[in-house]
Amino acid sequence: MSKQRVTRRQFLNYTLTGVGGFMAAGMLMPMVRFAVDPVLKHNPAGDFIVTDKKISDITNEPVRVDFSFEQQDAWYTAEVTNTAWVYKDDKGEIVALSPVCKHLGCTVDWNTDKANPEHFFCPCHNGLYTKDGTNVPGTPPSAPLDVYPYKEVDGYLALGKAAPRKEA
Amino acid sequence: MKWVAKDIEVYLGAKEYVDTVVLPLLPVSFADDIKQTASMTEFITLLSGQLERQFKGRLLMLPGFSYIKTESEEKLLETVNHWGAEFVKQGFKHVFFVTSDSDWKAREDKLDGSLIWLPFLPLEHMDKNYLNSILEDQVKQMISLFIKKWQDRDSQ
Repeated sequence: MSKQRVTRRQFLNYTLTGVGGFMAAGMLMPMVRFAVDPVLKHNPAGDFIVTDKKISDITNEPVRVDFSFEQQDAWYTAEVTNTAWVYKDDKGEIVALSPVCKHLGCTVDWNTDKANPEHFFCPCHNGLYTKDGTNVPGTPPSAPLDVYPYKEVDGYLALGKAAPRKEA
Repeated sequence: MKWVAKDIEVYLGAKEYVDTVVLPLLPVSFADDIKQTASMTEFITLLSGQLERQFKGRLLMLPGFSYIKTESEEKLLETVNHWGAEFVKQGFKHVFFVTSDSDWKAREDKLDGSLIWLPFLPLEHMDKNYLNSILEDQVKQMISLFIKKWQDRDSQ
């Protein structure tokens, strides 16, 4: 036993403060959470989605990679499938391009135009992009293809949200 | 482009690039073929969604034209051809009707526009991944059909 005796009054004070504090916190915490809710909500757009493509399988020939995720549109959740054209450039770095044509939004294809091999081709209005996604002057598109940021997750490719390319 | 305000705004600004219009024909019936007509409608709706994604910049995908199967053939043809005439008047060079209803195949020569008829697939029992790959195959066929029609026209 310590020399300093705790009086009955002190003991009750401590107990009441402690228990009361817990109760007050229990009530206030949800309120605070409600108030700052938008801050706590994680942003789905910033998330990376893991595809089923292995990093080691990517060659310097562009291949189509499809990946699906749930998209929330107000109350309606829909599964959306996005596509990327993925390849390794000369330096061995991965490039993931969005297939959405910068002209009017058609889906571009790799190497389908016989007159222009090794180009991304848009069948709608004959838009052309070189392999690195740069638009060929004289064709309708006015900007290079969007680029997906990417990450490696356990050897698999994960893609973020496609963004316009910064001018080099 | 879809029939939504945002896409239509783009369409108004880029009319000269949009020369193709697609009207899905969706049957409705309450007789013995109620389930089939539902499957047809479901299948064509899914397919036209995919098609729109592929060719967003060149085609206008209209909301489906739904009709009751008990309607007489003449009346249906008249209505659909009226749509077709309006499309031509609006300057569309390619008019496509997409459907799974085989009745349209029989009256194809009386239609003003190209008919794309695809046999419907029973989607309700299908595994999701399998369904996607099947749809993709179908869409691919349609894509090459569209490109061919466009090229035929351009080379004329």
